[in-house]
Amino acid sequence: MEVLNRLREKFEITGDKVQRDDLALVETTGKDLIPVLVYLKTYEGFKTLVMISCVDWMEKGKFQLSYNLWNPEKKKNIIVKIFLDRENPVFQTIYKIWPQAEVYEREIHEMFGVNFEGNPTQDEELILEDWEEIPPMRRDFNTLRYSMEKFGEREPKSGIIIRKQISEQYDEWRRK
Amino acid sequence: MGKDKKYFLDEKPEKLTYGGVFRRINDWARARSLWVVAYGTGCGSIELRPTFTSRFDAERLGMRMVATPRQADVLIISGYLTVKTLKRVIRVYEQMQSPKYVVALGACPINGGMYYDSYNAINRLDLYLPVDVWITGCMPRPEAILAGFKRLQELIDSGRADGWKKYIDNLDRYRENQKKIIKNWKMPNYNW
Repeated sequence: MEVLNRLREKFEITGDKVQRDDLALVETTGKDLIPVLVYLKTYEGFKTLVMISCVDWMEKGKFQLSYNLWNPEKKKNIIVKIFLDRENPVFQTIYKIWPQAEVYEREIHEMFGVNFEGNPTQDEELILEDWEEIPPMRRDFNTLRYSMEKFGEREPKSGIIIRKQISEQYDEWRRK
Repeated sequence: MGKDKKYFLDEKPEKLTYGGVFRRINDWARARSLWVVAYGTGCGSIELRPTFTSRFDAERLGMRMVATPRQADVLIISGYLTVKTLKRVIRVYEQMQSPKYVVALGACPINGGMYYDSYNAINRLDLYLPVDVWITGCMPRPEAILAGFKRLQELIDSGRADGWKKYIDNLDRYRENQKKIIKNWKMPNYNW
């Protein structure tokens, strides 16, 4: 897509790829993300924010945030990615550009623990009430062990042993 | 709670006991007029629509959906039950008038089903609420649901569907289990 050339001229683009005729991936830095989004919305017609998603790259020590935009006139998608430090994941909110981003950011804050500075409602509970552990969609959260400890068992003992083994294997794999 | 306190009862409910021919007549009538709360907790509620509308037409067997728990006899736990929904389910169940029955649909309320390792879906329903009829399947077809309701009618007719009595007798044990997973218990001890 020719929009990639214009983006490369104007901003710091660290990687890009055309996935399909109507889908392109762009990787940028946290400093340039908001200018890129504003540019795409204002000048290139990517008016709709489809979703924001988060990926946990535990081995690299990064969180990836993907902003998926849609151009309703040309029927094109573009995904803008940035990487955050996993130890201290802080980023700016974009809810002043697209108001619907507020809820996506709130969910990512709840499920991954990414902080969006300036989001007014991110500390309210969306799905999890009274959650005390680390955010559950992080890959170092052992859901099987948590479920066994909290909700109990209803199986013969052999089943419990197998589940414990799986849970321990998960812990070992995580430590690698 | 606070100012809403006057709307709630903190005392334990009483168990209605009467026997003989009146019990027999009441059970006969109750088994033939089961009203179900129109409340879906999980994916299984999608199977309740064809069950209760014209395709399978459960109304010919005396069952229908009602809007509020006060009017209802049966609570269907349809599929997986998360901790957040469990709070609401307990309130709905305790607002229903005795005698009341619980039907659990699908594999998830039995032992977790495909959500056995979920951080948010409970594994066993009968720790938290008394269940009268289990219907297995993932999800059970409307035929299976109708068969389950037929079983429930038999149980009521013969006076064996006494989950609500067990709940009153063992309220402390159930409450202890419920409070184990609901950390911040904001509800009154018993809310009719």
